[in-house]
Amino acid sequence: MSNTKYIGQSVKRVEDKRFITGKGRYTDDIKLVGMTYAAFVRSPYAHAKVLSIESAEALEMPGVVAIFTGDDIKASGIGGVPTGWVINFRNGDTMKEPPHPLLIATSSTAKHIGDPVAVVIAETYAQAVDAAEAVVVDWEDLPAVTDAFKATQDGATLVHDSAPGNLAFDWELGNPISEVDAAIEASAHVTTLDFINQRMVPNAIEPRSYIGHYDEATDKYTLYTSTQNPHLIRLLMCAFVLGIPEHKVRVLGPDVGGGFGSKIFHYTEEALVTWASQKIKRPIKWTETRSEAFMLDAHGRDHVSKAEMGFDAEGNVTALRIKTYANLGAYLSTFGPVVPTFLHGTLLQGLYTTPKIHIELYGVFTHTVAVDAYRGAGRPEATYLLERLMDLAALEMGKDPVELRKRNFIPAFDGVEQPGYQTQVALQYDSGNYHGVLERAVEMLDYGNFRKEQKEAAQNGKLLGVGFSTYIEACGIAPSAVVGALGARAGLYESAQVRVQPTGKVSVFSGSHSHGQGHETTFAQIVADKFGIPMEDVDIVHGDSDAVAFGMGTYGSRSLAVGGSAIVKSIDKVLEKGAKIAAHKLECAADDLEFAEGKWTVKGTDQSISFGDVALTAYIPHVYPEGLEPGMDFSSFYDPANFTYPFGCHIAVVEVDKETGKVRLRRFIAVDDVGNVINPMIVDGQIHGGLAQGIGQALLEGAIYDENGQLTNGSYMDYAMPRADDLPMFEVDRQITPCPHNPLGVKGAGEAGCIGSTPAVVNAVIDALWSGGYQVKDIAMPLTGERVWRAMQNN
Amino acid sequence: MDLSGSHILNATPDRVWAMLMDTDVLARIVPGVTTLEKTGENEYKAIAQVKMGPVNGSFSGGLTMQDIREGEGYTLNVKQSSKIGNADATVKIDLKSVDDDKTELVFDGGAKLSGLLARTGNRVMSGVANSLTKQFFENFEQEISSS
Repeated sequence: MSNTKYIGQSVKRVEDKRFITGKGRYTDDIKLVGMTYAAFVRSPYAHAKVLSIESAEALEMPGVVAIFTGDDIKASGIGGVPTGWVINFRNGDTMKEPPHPLLIATSSTAKHIGDPVAVVIAETYAQAVDAAEAVVVDWEDLPAVTDAFKATQDGATLVHDSAPGNLAFDWELGNPISEVDAAIEASAHVTTLDFINQRMVPNAIEPRSYIGHYDEATDKYTLYTSTQNPHLIRLLMCAFVLGIPEHKVRVLGPDVGGGFGSKIFHYTEEALVTWASQKIKRPIKWTETRSEAFMLDAHGRDHVSKAEMGFDAEGNVTALRIKTYANLGAYLSTFGPVVPTFLHGTLLQGLYTTPKIHIELYGVFTHTVAVDAYRGAGRPEATYLLERLMDLAALEMGKDPVELRKRNFIPAFDGVEQPGYQTQVALQYDSGNYHGVLERAVEMLDYGNFRKEQKEAAQNGKLLGVGFSTYIEACGIAPSAVVGALGARAGLYESAQVRVQPTGKVSVFSGSHSHGQGHETTFAQIVADKFGIPMEDVDIVHGDSDAVAFGMGTYGSRSLAVGGSAIVKSIDKVLEKGAKIAAHKLECAADDLEFAEGKWTVKGTDQSISFGDVALTAYIPHVYPEGLEPGMDFSSFYDPANFTYPFGCHIAVVEVDKETGKVRLRRFIAVDDVGNVINPMIVDGQIHGGLAQGIGQALLEGAIYDENGQLTNGSYMDYAMPRADDLPMFEVDRQITPCPHNPLGVKGAGEAGCIGSTPAVVNAVIDALWSGGYQVKDIAMPLTGERVWRAMQNN
Repeated sequence: MDLSGSHILNATPDRVWAMLMDTDVLARIVPGVTTLEKTGENEYKAIAQVKMGPVNGSFSGGLTMQDIREGEGYTLNVKQSSKIGNADATVKIDLKSVDDDKTELVFDGGAKLSGLLARTGNRVMSGVANSLTKQFFENFEQEISSS
């Protein structure tokens, strides 16, 4: 486009006007006439049989409207919440998918703390809570298992009788194992790492909130939900759980205060408030407490792995062999099975030319809440594994970690002149220049100087360390044919409708959904530039299944690459029709026109017609091309040919206190390549947020279940979220390698920060320890002062 | 949660033992206990009201003494339920004579917590347990000196 007034500019976010003035409209802000409130009766045990549920006394309490128990749900015949992906066993057996009921019935067992047995509905939330406390449940406490590896060992307590060995599936990917074994065997050096990628709590600012509203007059249901994908919730709830026809259900996702993945999934409470509102013929609101959010929002990561990387004498990677136990929790959440498999295993090539790769993975049930996609989803786990191995190998072999990476990097390719890069683990990378981001980041670090400084520090008894991490991720989660082949039960395209109003104002209906990413700004920048109109003339509508034809929501950094591309396809249709109208009005051929700066001009003349005039003509077609329909309203479904593959290099510089083990992050450098950039400020913001989360995992965060399956740090008193003073000023830079297969050339930026940063920080701490003579291979995350100190003492 | 420690009481082992086996005394010295009824051989029903920081609630449940070694000690099992969670504690209690007229009470065991009690975190719960233990021994000493 000749006119790029907005694209590439750091336009201030239009949605921030309402957000920073406290005028956002979140689900919990919504009050409906006659609304009631729900509170749940939940299991205090991780594994316990429900012997009886006594609710008669609670039902008599002030304000109580109704109480439904697991027995009521069982009697009603409602199905459980399904998972969206099927991963079969290596021998071809079907994945174990035990039922995930909305409420636990008598004689059944609760399978994680907080598993609900009853819902109390009352006139006020306080009354609902009081009455929920009066529901008496007789529990038989049973032994629990929370560790993915231990759960697969002989004699482990079973989570589901139908899943022997607590396995949902086992899975492998890559080259034949015999070839990988042989390559490892023949290697000059093998770096081995046994490690745990700990369990993370998502911690969105806005807790989950739902309102179910059945309207007797129209026999229709409305669900307001703090979700990342309203249409997918409608599809899952209607087709699999409640059996209500889709045209009778409207799902609205108003402003949503963060998700990080945890709001992708269809939760039991969504279906329950919808179902129950029909029973009591009144709207029902449930908003979770922060304590419930800790317990119940799908957690992230939680892998136990053994990783081995072989090298030849020159430092070329010869092979990679991985064995991972992935904790899935007690139930399979919507994306649960795909995260450790296809979103993790397929990224194990990383940026390297590794000729032989094999991963063996066990998806394991435990008495914990479901584990599912959390910012990055599988890709941070893969990157952590590869980048820890790479830095450790450099230390072990006495090689420079930068040189070792450069030696093994896939050479640059643009995906246009050069073909995409086919990995050993199923993916074909679209375009990349991996040396570029590494070189830029190393230059920002002033690497040569740093090593001098590090040596001097070590002589003065100080521990300085640098950690490198180079990552690649698969974003723009879409191609339906690909995800279908990988076991998805849904297609993953995106839809967009561009409706040009008679006055030339534009309404865009997007199937992607913002939970804080700034879609209303970024999308409007694209539309305004493509039509040559002011941004104020563009309105972005999302999050309403009645207004938007269809959508697959927002996750996996797909909004711009997939959703934005769908908008561009509709824009192209508008411009094509507009040219026909303009040609008729200007009495020329459409080919003789060019569109720029908001008007069609006859080439080589000053004869032109504006976008607004053409729009008006489309709706008042008195002078109009013969046979052309009136109106200017186009829909598109965009199903891309491939994922997009952003990449980057992150570098952490740390100082470790020898006396206490306390880690101080001195510098953090991030050079990311996310393809073309529409709004640099929003991309920087995404990177910053991701970095905070990734650094949080490295140094501070992690859910801790005790041996009885109790979550012992389920509050901000004990779960350490990163704060501003835990973080340095980020040094952020960018390289641009456009995506060759989508019309915007964009790749996605939402997860990059969270993927690259974690291993960089841990590598830096390990490097600091080695500089002081402590040859520590690994410290379990989070790297608290105590853990680092112990690692030094045990060395 | 670990529950172990020791305390030296200003009375002979025989006297400490007698007090530990006396329901009325126990009801007076165990912090928060409002009711303690004998329900069977070495079995009691207990109701307690505890208010300490985040732990604020009414507890009810059973208390059993096992492995009773006359004058030397026993193993105490306490199961208590409340709206803020449940506790299941097993503690071995040993009495040792010190300086003829003093007794060291050694306790060693642990508690299994669930619900909010567990989620509140070990850091806080250990503090609560320590405070309750301290209060128990203060009450015990007061009982010894006043009777």
